[in-house]
Amino acid sequence: MTQPAGMIAEFADAEEMLAALRAARKAGWRRLDAYAPYPVPEAAELLAVRGWPVAAITVAAGLAGAVLQYGTQYYLNVVDYPINVGGRPLHAWPVFLPATYIVAVLWAAIAALVGMLVLNRLPRLHHPVFAAPGFDRASEDRFFLCLFVDEPGFDAAHAEHLLRGFDALRISPVPAA
Amino acid sequence: MSGADMPRAAEEREVADTAPVARIPLQRFGATYWIALSASAAGVVLLGVTVATLLRFGTGVWGTNVPHVWGFDLINYVWWIGIANAASLLAVVLVLRRHGLRTAVNRFAEAAALAAVVAAGLYPILHLGRPWLFFWVFPYPATYQVWPQFRSTLIWDFWGITAHVLVTGLFWYIGLIPDLATMRDRAARQGRLVVARLYGVFALGWRGSVCHWSRHQAAYRLVAALLLPLLLAAQTVVALEFATTLVPDWHQARLPLHVVVTGLPSGLGLVLALAAMLRRTLGLHAFIDAGDMDLLSRLTAAASLASLWIYAEGLLFGLVLEDAVAREAMLVRVTGTYAAYYWAGLLLTAILPQLLWSRRIGLSTATAVPLGLCAAAGAWFDRYSIVVAGIERTNLPVARPLYVPSDAEWMLLLGTGGLFVLLLLLFARLVPVVSMYETRHEEAESEAA
Repeated sequence: MTQPAGMIAEFADAEEMLAALRAARKAGWRRLDAYAPYPVPEAAELLAVRGWPVAAITVAAGLAGAVLQYGTQYYLNVVDYPINVGGRPLHAWPVFLPATYIVAVLWAAIAALVGMLVLNRLPRLHHPVFAAPGFDRASEDRFFLCLFVDEPGFDAAHAEHLLRGFDALRISPVPAA
Repeated sequence: MSGADMPRAAEEREVADTAPVARIPLQRFGATYWIALSASAAGVVLLGVTVATLLRFGTGVWGTNVPHVWGFDLINYVWWIGIANAASLLAVVLVLRRHGLRTAVNRFAEAAALAAVVAAGLYPILHLGRPWLFFWVFPYPATYQVWPQFRSTLIWDFWGITAHVLVTGLFWYIGLIPDLATMRDRAARQGRLVVARLYGVFALGWRGSVCHWSRHQAAYRLVAALLLPLLLAAQTVVALEFATTLVPDWHQARLPLHVVVTGLPSGLGLVLALAAMLRRTLGLHAFIDAGDMDLLSRLTAAASLASLWIYAEGLLFGLVLEDAVAREAMLVRVTGTYAAYYWAGLLLTAILPQLLWSRRIGLSTATAVPLGLCAAAGAWFDRYSIVVAGIERTNLPVARPLYVPSDAEWMLLLGTGGLFVLLLLLFARLVPVVSMYETRHEEAESEAA
């Protein structure tokens, strides 16, 4: 029998999944992931994942958008194509501000979606866990913990032994892709 | 492996059941739905015909003329934007405050905002005179080496509308991704693989990883926070463009505030009407409960109270405290040819919705729907009065025809109305109308508390 990609346990509630996740982290598992039908911030914390990198990308993109927009307006209206409109100043900064600010928001919002997707490595056509039995309910009412066994020293038997210690509805191997 | 599989049907359910919401898009559509869909599609056909007429014959088909250079193009634009803003504002505030009402109304408030922005976005392009050259406001290296004039307010419009449509759409879509994954999995379980693939494409391979959730929530709240200042900009920039003209009734610092505040009951009223219709027609009483409806109707009443205050402030300043020219312009608005529009706006947005303070009226579909729609219609009368009535008394010795919208303009309004309804009908049957993951999340949180 070929080695599976990992072992996955199905739980009926978040608490039980969190307990198993804590134990797995304590046992030194590094390649593992938990799946839930709604955000479980404690689980993300245990996996050392935070939301702030998305915010950093968003703010950086917003600032870049603002600089580019203001710079474009300045360069085109003052340097490249100056038009005298009744002697009004070419560098009319108050009038440049609304578009600068609106475009900054636009860049930031697009970066929030793209940044989130890139950090999550989405979109993705397929993932081995989708082949786990009953995994379709991860998007509805079940919680899953998957221990991946593609590292030396961590094998399926070891994973199954660890998961057995908790009140899982079932434990199954994730077929290798 | 070992026989670790356990029976799964018997044990009790630990997570809030959102299946009734997920079931809606996968059911067959009823006859009423098809009739409504066909009617709104006919409206969109009408829109196509009107736009084609406009492109063929030019803006001469409209009733606008000097001094009334703006008519339905601006009235309807400002009106749709107001509805979109209030609906978005509600959704944004609920998300940022993590309010319990968000589970019930957020999704379709966002959808209504998106549909309204799409309807609004057509007008500024169409009123350009030569709409097919609209891309001239975008700074691209043209053959003639001419660049847009960034000191013109037209540029604000271009960026403002583009950003408004995109950011409103992003806010709606980011919140929808996990629910699309639920739809994908349900459709697959029913063996409907084509439907599952369609949902799957838009779910982007979402698998509910807690790491993904963490970043998803960050992105969703960030876009909500970004939308907040954009809403104020979208509504006030239009009003600012009015205020920067020399027309006495428009040249007022209070105009942006007036437009924002009277826009609130229009959008909230529409969301209230939608909530009442959705919970009745789709049987969502468990998800949009009486508490939600009560809160929403009282919110609409509160927004309408703020409008009453802003109308009173307008009358005080316009008729008493301003200079003679501005006083005269205001007097013409409230007593002149178009006075009925002014008073209809006041009655429908600021006075009638006060009835919604009553729990009985707010909770009954038969009263909440007409009152909500009236609040939305009232804002339209207000925009008509602002755009048209203020210029009736011109300061130039010229012939001054009154403004009367032409058939082409009425068809345009009807057409964008059809577009709005069509988008909402498609939304109501193709994606979950209530945020399913937020419902599960809120239930879990309230159990933990």
